[in-house]
Amino acid sequence: MFLPKMFQGFPEIKEALIANRMQAGFLVAPMAIALRSQGVPIKIVYLGHRYGSAFVVATDGPVHSVRDLRGRTIAIPNRFSDERLIVGRALEANGMAEADVKMVEMAPPDVASALSSGAIDAFVMGEPFPSQAEIAGYGRVLFFAKDYWPDYISCVLVVRDDVIERRPEAVQLLVDGIARSGLWLDEKRAHRDYAAEFVGRYYYEQPKQLLDYALTHPLDRVMYTPLSPTKPDFDLIVQLMVKAGLLDKPIAFDEYVDTSFAEKTAGLQAWHFEPAE
Amino acid sequence: MTVRKLVAALAVWFVAITALHLRLNFDWESFLNDSRPEGQRKLNVAYIPVT
Repeated sequence: MFLPKMFQGFPEIKEALIANRMQAGFLVAPMAIALRSQGVPIKIVYLGHRYGSAFVVATDGPVHSVRDLRGRTIAIPNRFSDERLIVGRALEANGMAEADVKMVEMAPPDVASALSSGAIDAFVMGEPFPSQAEIAGYGRVLFFAKDYWPDYISCVLVVRDDVIERRPEAVQLLVDGIARSGLWLDEKRAHRDYAAEFVGRYYYEQPKQLLDYALTHPLDRVMYTPLSPTKPDFDLIVQLMVKAGLLDKPIAFDEYVDTSFAEKTAGLQAWHFEPAE
Repeated sequence: MTVRKLVAALAVWFVAITALHLRLNFDWESFLNDSRPEGQRKLNVAYIPVT
């Protein structure tokens, strides 16, 4: 029913969705909202995960608190990303503003070499890049996104309007699958160990040890429940986007979210699958 | 080497490279999927290897 296609950046996914080469995809929430506000025919139908982003600085560098970031260069995945918004929240909570730092956009796979070579002072990205920096020893987590944003969300599942209209059963199957996978992942550590193996091998092309670390250090570093999109969560994102100048004016929740598929996941159970010992 | 042998060698080389390209680089799954009627197509779902 689905063909998963790996991309290396969110802008490429955006273009593929607009061109109808992709009918669904995972985007950072602010980008999905901004695209919808610009008239791109997509809607958010579910979340990809909760938490899962961290702010990383050089292990032996001079930054030991958010206040030490003044004048520093911080890499973000995209200016239309929750990671950019979390930087703003952290700065504001520490009496600073975005103007006090320099933010540069960088594709997630490039941040490792940039931080280790000193080209940037910090980065904020989704996993497994913070884990990669920790394991390799050149990076240390200054804070997790949830430290400044409880119930933080980043990647969301968007689907083209024409697919929602013409093939709702396929969309529901996709959403149900993500919901049941999330329940399964959050059941026990052994499930995460197994997921690290097969996702690393067949989907992410990344080492099992890296994904295992990202999924288990600690176990709530990334959470996969609850994943239904709620109005309070997205009202906060829209509010932060307006404040950051990413949106001219607020956009109504119903304009960019279709909750009908998520509502039907209530009562679903985790996949019945136990990995062999 | 005669002209005939040269042309034959080039033809073999061309066919071999084309066959390898079609085997290694061409996305047959997407090609076949896009050839189906819309209602029977698999949905292309994009992701990046993050979280």
